[in-house]
Order: sequence, then C-alpha cells, then structure tokens
Amino acid sequence: MDHVLKINELSKSFGDKSVLNGLSIDIERNTSQVIIGGSGTGKSVLLKCILGLIEADSGEIYFNQQILDKKNRAEIDFYSKIGMLFQGAALFDSLNVQENITFGIKKLESNLGNLSDIAVDKLKKVGLDSSVLHLYPSELSGGMQKRVALARAIARNPELLFFDEPTTGLDPIMADVINNLINEVIDEVGATAITITHDMDSAKKIADKISMLYKGAVIWSGDAKDIHSSNNPYVDQFIEGSSEGPIKINLND
Amino acid sequence: MYKYIYIIPETIGRSVLRMCASIGRIAIFFYDFFMCLITPPIYIKSLLSQLVRIGYNSLPVIGLTAFFTGGVLALQIYVGGSRFNAENIVASIVALGITRELGPVIAGLMLAGRVSASISAEIATMRVTEQIDALITLSTNPMKYLIVPRVLAAVISLPILVIIADIIGIMGGFVVGTKSLGFIEQSYIKNTLDIIEFRDVISGLIKAAVFGFIVAFMGCYHGYNSTGGAQGVGRSTTLAVVSASILILASNYILTSLVFTN
Repeated sequence: MDHVLKINELSKSFGDKSVLNGLSIDIERNTSQVIIGGSGTGKSVLLKCILGLIEADSGEIYFNQQILDKKNRAEIDFYSKIGMLFQGAALFDSLNVQENITFGIKKLESNLGNLSDIAVDKLKKVGLDSSVLHLYPSELSGGMQKRVALARAIARNPELLFFDEPTTGLDPIMADVINNLINEVIDEVGATAITITHDMDSAKKIADKISMLYKGAVIWSGDAKDIHSSNNPYVDQFIEGSSEGPIKINLND
Repeated sequence: MYKYIYIIPETIGRSVLRMCASIGRIAIFFYDFFMCLITPPIYIKSLLSQLVRIGYNSLPVIGLTAFFTGGVLALQIYVGGSRFNAENIVASIVALGITRELGPVIAGLMLAGRVSASISAEIATMRVTEQIDALITLSTNPMKYLIVPRVLAAVISLPILVIIADIIGIMGGFVVGTKSLGFIEQSYIKNTLDIIEFRDVISGLIKAAVFGFIVAFMGCYHGYNSTGGAQGVGRSTTLAVVSASILILASNYILTSLVFTN
C-alpha cells in the first residue's frame, strides 16, 4: 500500500491534559481521508502536529517515507507540497484576493506565468470570476472567503491537501457547494486530501475513507460506505448525533 | 493560620518565576528575530509600507506633541528662571531639553501609544485568526515577514521623526518665547544655535533608534504570543504599550547616564 502520510504513536499533552494518546493512522495516496470526532478529541491538534504548528511530545510522522520533524520539514520542502484550508479561511486582511491566492506562488515558481492569470485560473476552479481579484477579504462573504481560501490552497498544485472544518459557519447550501468544490479540486489536482470535521453530511460527501477519533486515539477506520455498518457503538452514536451511548459529554470540559 | 504565613513568600516567588520566564521568552524571541534579521530574504516591499505606516503616518501626532512641549517648556523655564533673574536662559534650555531629552522621549512615548498598540493588535489578530499559521503553511517565516520589517522600520523612522520633533519643538519654544514672553527673535535664534552641539543631537538620535526598537519589538512580541481570542488581543495591546513605555523610560535613564556623563 502506498501511503503518503504515516503517523505512529503520536502523543501530545497540554499540562495535565492529554490530547493525543499514541495516535496512529496511515493515509493512502490519492484518497480523501476524513477524520471525524467530537469537540476536544484531538482532531485539530493532530492536524497542527502534522503541519508543524505544534510539536508532538512523542511519536513519528512520515511524509513520503521521510520523517517529518522540525528540522526536516524545511529540508524536504514540505510546505511547498501541501495546501491548507483553514476553518476561518485565514485570508490575509492586508492583501487583496489576487495577492492572497498567489502569495505562495511568488516564492516558488514565478516562472509559472503571470500571477494575475494564475489567480483567475484558480478562482475559476472554485466558481468565482475575475471581478473579485482586487477585493479585500473584508469585502467578501463567508462563503466567498472560503472559496478564495480554497483557491489559495490549490494554487501550488499540492500533493497533499488539508481541510480544517471546511463547512463550519456556512449555511447548508453553501456548505454543499464547498463540499462539491472540494471533490472537484481533489479530482482535478490529483491530491491526497485530509479533512477534519464533525459535519457528517460533509464527511459522507467528500470521504473515501473515514477514521474516528475519541480521546486522542483512532477508534475506528474504514471505507466511507461502511460507516453505517461499523458495529462500533461510538461511531453509531456519533453519526446518529445521540446523547445516549458510550460517549459521555463532560459539560465541564 | 500557617497557610496565611506562606501567602506572601509564595506570591513573591511566583511573581519572580513568572518574570524570569518572561525574560527567557523575550530573549528567545530576540534570538529568533536577530537570526532572521541577518539572513535573507528581507521583505523590502513590506519594509517600505511599514516605513510609511510607522514613520510618515506618525508625523502629525509627533509634530503637534513636540510643538506644544516646546511651548510649555518655554513658559515653565521663564517662570522658573525669573525667580533667579535668569529669564534669558529660556532659549538655551528649550533647545537642550528638546534635543537631548524631550524630543526622543516624547516621540518614543507617542510611538509606543500609537505604533506599539497597533502592531500588537494587528499581529495578535493574525494569530487568533490563524493567519500566522497560514503564513507557515505557505512556506513563509512569520518572523521574517511580519516582525523584521516592523522593527527595522521603527528603528529607521524614529530618529528621523526625532529630528523633525526637535525642530518643531524648538519652534514651539520660539513662538511662545517671542510672541508671548517678549524675547527678540534674532537673539532667541542666536541663543539656540549657540548652545546646541552636534553631540546633543546625535545622542538624542541614538536614544531614538533604541526607543524605536523597543516600541516595535514589544508590540511584535506581545502580539505574536497572544492567546485567548478577542480578550487576548486586548491584553496583548495593553501589555505592549505599558511594557514599551516603561522600557523607554528605563532605557532613557541608562542611555543618558552612559552618553551624557562622559
């Protein structure tokens, strides 16, 4: 099996609070892997550990069979091979849409062509036209910001795409539009995608494979089509959205 | 009863530990900044836009403050000097006071209020909205892209602002001295030019460069390490202004004792 990302026994604590507990997961190349789980189960921390935004206490992460650590990320040019869609879009307020989309390209491949043409091309891929090129993020709606952020994420034709709660804060129709766009861009770019979400509609729509996190570890993994027959009471409770079951919500958390 | 005995040493100990941790974090931040400063790339476009924002846009505030400070200084020296029949020293004291002390300190404090707060709020907002994380995922070192241009711009801008503040401040004293206190214009200008030495101006400019560094560095440090959402942005802004102001006054004493005592 060709794995683009392998995570072995990853652990991370903040003070006394253990967030990741020996988490292991393998991500197959050219698949759309969705990681689901409730709030506080370690999804965002896992993503930040992979991206190097926080350092894990122990465990290893391998990208294309090469270990990924603080020193190595720059050496293997990890960041030029990935794209990331942040939960709140994280567009740069002081830059317009064109500058946001081409921000990473300028540093990498200025020979790719005219930056404006590249931005227009990427905007087309996310269903926007050139009329927004010179607008600033504050002049865009939430849905448009997400689309521009998606255009920025795919601008460098990444090998690996990360989506952090891509439909959070969007109305159901816009959420579906974003889900469709994610599927389209994954197919078009030919990238592997890792999405973390607790939106089951989104997960079912974009996932080839789904893994569920609970208390900082993977408790179920499988094909997206098998999630309703997982025979795992935790998964069943989560996808049914029921307060009754083995997952107990600590209201003090 | 015993637990009350321990409260005071415990509180002092905790404060000392917190202070040591803060100094350590600032030292690490400075090391990272310095390493980024001496290695390419330098973001020239960002540096130029910060020069406009920190330097050019601060001109009205610093000009007005300097003008009124010069005017007030002339009035106060006149009142104080008249008690010793030494009214004639107004022009000299205004010139020396502005160039050696008030020009750089007032400009530094105004910049702490205006620039340190805005830098801190901007970077803290970028932190809480994940824009700094986004920079990293786009192969950009936030220290190089955000911090180095701002600190460099402040270090370059403040001495220039202080030269302008010196001129406007002395002019403020001149206007009050000649229009309100009855000094003759030619003799006021002559007294001013006679007393000012090159060393007075240069020492003020050295102070200004140090204050510029403090203002931008503290704004960047508190903004970059902001946590806790909107409340954290507010807290980091307050901390930036307070710490920059205190450090300006403290370093002013140290620099004055180093520069003027020899």
